Amino acid sequence: MFLTIRRTFREAIQNFIRNGWLSIATVSILILSLYVLSVFFVVTSTANSIMKDVQGKVNISIYFKPDVSEQTIAEVKADLEGFNEVQSVRYVSKEQALEDFKKNNASEPIILQSLDEIGGNPLLASLVVKAGDPTRYQAISDHINQAAFFSEISRINYGKNKEIIDRLNSIVATIKKIGTSLGILFAAISLLITFNAVRITIYTHKQEIEIMRLVGASNYFIRMPFIFEGVIYGVMGTVFSMLILFISVRFVTPYVSSAIPSSNLVEFYFNNFGILLGGQAALGVFLGVIGSLIAMRKYLKV
Amino acid sequence: MIKFDSVSKVYKGDFPALEDINLEIHEGEFVSVVGQSGSGKSTLLKLIYAEEMATSGEVYFNSSLLNNLSRRKLPYHRRNIGMIFQDFKLLPRKTVFENVAYALEVAGIPDEEIQENVQQILDIVSMGEKMKKYPNQLSGGEQQKVAIARALVHAPMVIIADEPTGNLDPVTSLEIVQLLMRINELGTTVVLASHDKDIVDKVNRRVLVLDNGKIIVDCAKGKYKAS
Ligand SMILES: Nc1ncnc2c1ncn2[C@@H]1O[C@H](COP(=O)(O)OP(=O)(O)OP(=O)(O)O)[C@@H](O)[C@H]1O
Ligand SMILES: [Mg+2]
Repeated sequence: MFLTIRRTFREAIQNFIRNGWLSIATVSILILSLYVLSVFFVVTSTANSIMKDVQGKVNISIYFKPDVSEQTIAEVKADLEGFNEVQSVRYVSKEQALEDFKKNNASEPIILQSLDEIGGNPLLASLVVKAGDPTRYQAISDHINQAAFFSEISRINYGKNKEIIDRLNSIVATIKKIGTSLGILFAAISLLITFNAVRITIYTHKQEIEIMRLVGASNYFIRMPFIFEGVIYGVMGTVFSMLILFISVRFVTPYVSSAIPSSNLVEFYFNNFGILLGGQAALGVFLGVIGSLIAMRKYLKV
Repeated sequence: MIKFDSVSKVYKGDFPALEDINLEIHEGEFVSVVGQSGSGKSTLLKLIYAEEMATSGEVYFNSSLLNNLSRRKLPYHRRNIGMIFQDFKLLPRKTVFENVAYALEVAGIPDEEIQENVQQILDIVSMGEKMKKYPNQLSGGEQQKVAIARALVHAPMVIIADEPTGNLDPVTSLEIVQLLMRINELGTTVVLASHDKDIVDKVNRRVLVLDNGKIIVDCAKGKYKAS
C-alpha cells in the first residue's frame, strides 16, 4: 500500500517533469488564480481593519453651554444611552477637556501661554456619542435636533469623518464584489486548466495507459499518478503564489504605508502566513484534484 | 494450462473472427500460430490475455474461466503472462530500465528485488549497457529486446508474442526468435503468432494454422504451411 503510494507519486512527479510546458502552463494559471485570490484577501482584510479603525474615531460631540449643570448633562447622557442606535456615550467634563487640550498642545507654548492669560477654563463640557453602526449617525443627529435639551447645547460637532466612512464603505463593498467575482472566475479557470492538463495527458498517453494495463497495472496504479499530478499542481501553485505575494507585498508596503499609516502589509503577511498558506494549499490542491478527477471520469474509461 | 472449449468470437455485428476453436496448450510448449492476415491469430491471443472475451464457448487459463473475468481481477491475470508485440509497446517517456521495472512495480515487488532482477534480465537480452536510454533512442531490434526483457522479468508462466519480428530485418528476427527459444527451453510456455515462414521453420515446434477463424492444421512438430 505504502509502496504503491510512493511509486504512483514518483510516477506523478516524473509525468509532471516530463510533461514540460504543459505542466508549466498549468501551474502558471493556478499561481495566477491563487495569487489573485490572496491579493483580494489581503486587500479586503486591510480595508476592513482600516474601516474599523476609522469607525472607532467617528463620533458626535455635543458641547453644552457653560452654565449647564452636570446633572442636566447626566440626564441627557441617560436619554442618549436609551436611544437604540447609540453604542456608547462618554462624558468629558470641562476639567477633562482642559487637560486634554493642554496635552494635545504641549509642544505649542504660545497656545498654552494665551490660555493662561485668558484665565479660568474657557472649554465646554461635552458628551461624545458613538453609534454602533456608522450609517446610523443621521438618525442620532435627528434625534438630538428634536430633543428637549436642544436649547442647552452650544454646538454639535459631527460628521467630520462621515464622508470618509461613506466612501470607505462603498470602496470595501466594491472590492468585495470584484474580489468575489474574480475569485470565482479564476477558480473556474484553474479547474478548467487542470482538467485540461490531465485530459491532454490522458489523451496523448492513451496508448501508454493501454500498455500499462497490458503489463498488469491495476486501475488504482494507473489513476493515482493523475490524482497526485493534481496535488503537485496545487502545491506548486501555492508555493509560487506565496512567494510572489511576499515579493509584491514587500514592494507596495512603503507606498501603502505612506498613504495609510496604520497599515503594515508585510506584518499582515506574516501574521496571516498560516491562513494564506493553508487556504491556498487547500484550494490549490482541491482544484487540482477535482480537475484530475473530472478528466479521469470523462476520459479514463475503465 | 490454456484451454479453448468450442470458442467463437464475433466482433460487433461482423462475421466470426474465430469459430469453434478447440485447443489445449500445455506447460512448456512452444506453439506457433500461423495463417493469413485476418485469419484470427491476434484474436486468439487476445482471448488468452483477456483483452477480448469469447462470444461463445469457454477459455480457461490455469483452469480458471476467463469469460467473465472481472475488471478488478484482470491485472492479476495479466501478471501471469508476458506479452510481446510487433510495435514493441514500450512506454516512450520511460527509460529502458524503467520500462522493465514497471512490470514489477505494478505487482508491488520491493525495490531491491526490482533493481537486481531488471539488471539481470537486461543483461540476458544484452541491453544492460543501454539501460538509461529512452525507447526512441534505440533500434527496432533493441526495442524488441527490451520488450522481451519486460515480458520476462516477472517470470510469467506464458509468453505471448504477436508478430514480434514483424518490424525487424531477417537477422534481427532470428536473434529475437532464438531468444524466445531459449526462454522456452528454461520452461516458459511460448505462444507465437507469425506469418514469417523462416521464423516458424526455425522454431520447428507445434504449429497451428488458422484460416478464416478456424484451425485447419494442428501438428505437434512442423513447419510453416501456408494454406
Ligand atoms: N476490434 C475489432 N473490431 C472489429 N473487428 C475486428 C477487431 N479486431 C479484429 N477484427 C477482425 O477480426 C478478424 C481477425 O482479425 P485478427 O486481428 O485476429 O487477424 P490476424 O490473423 O491477427 O491478422 P494479421 O496477420 O493481419 O495481424 C479480421 O477480419 C478483423 O478485421
Ligand atoms: Mg494480428
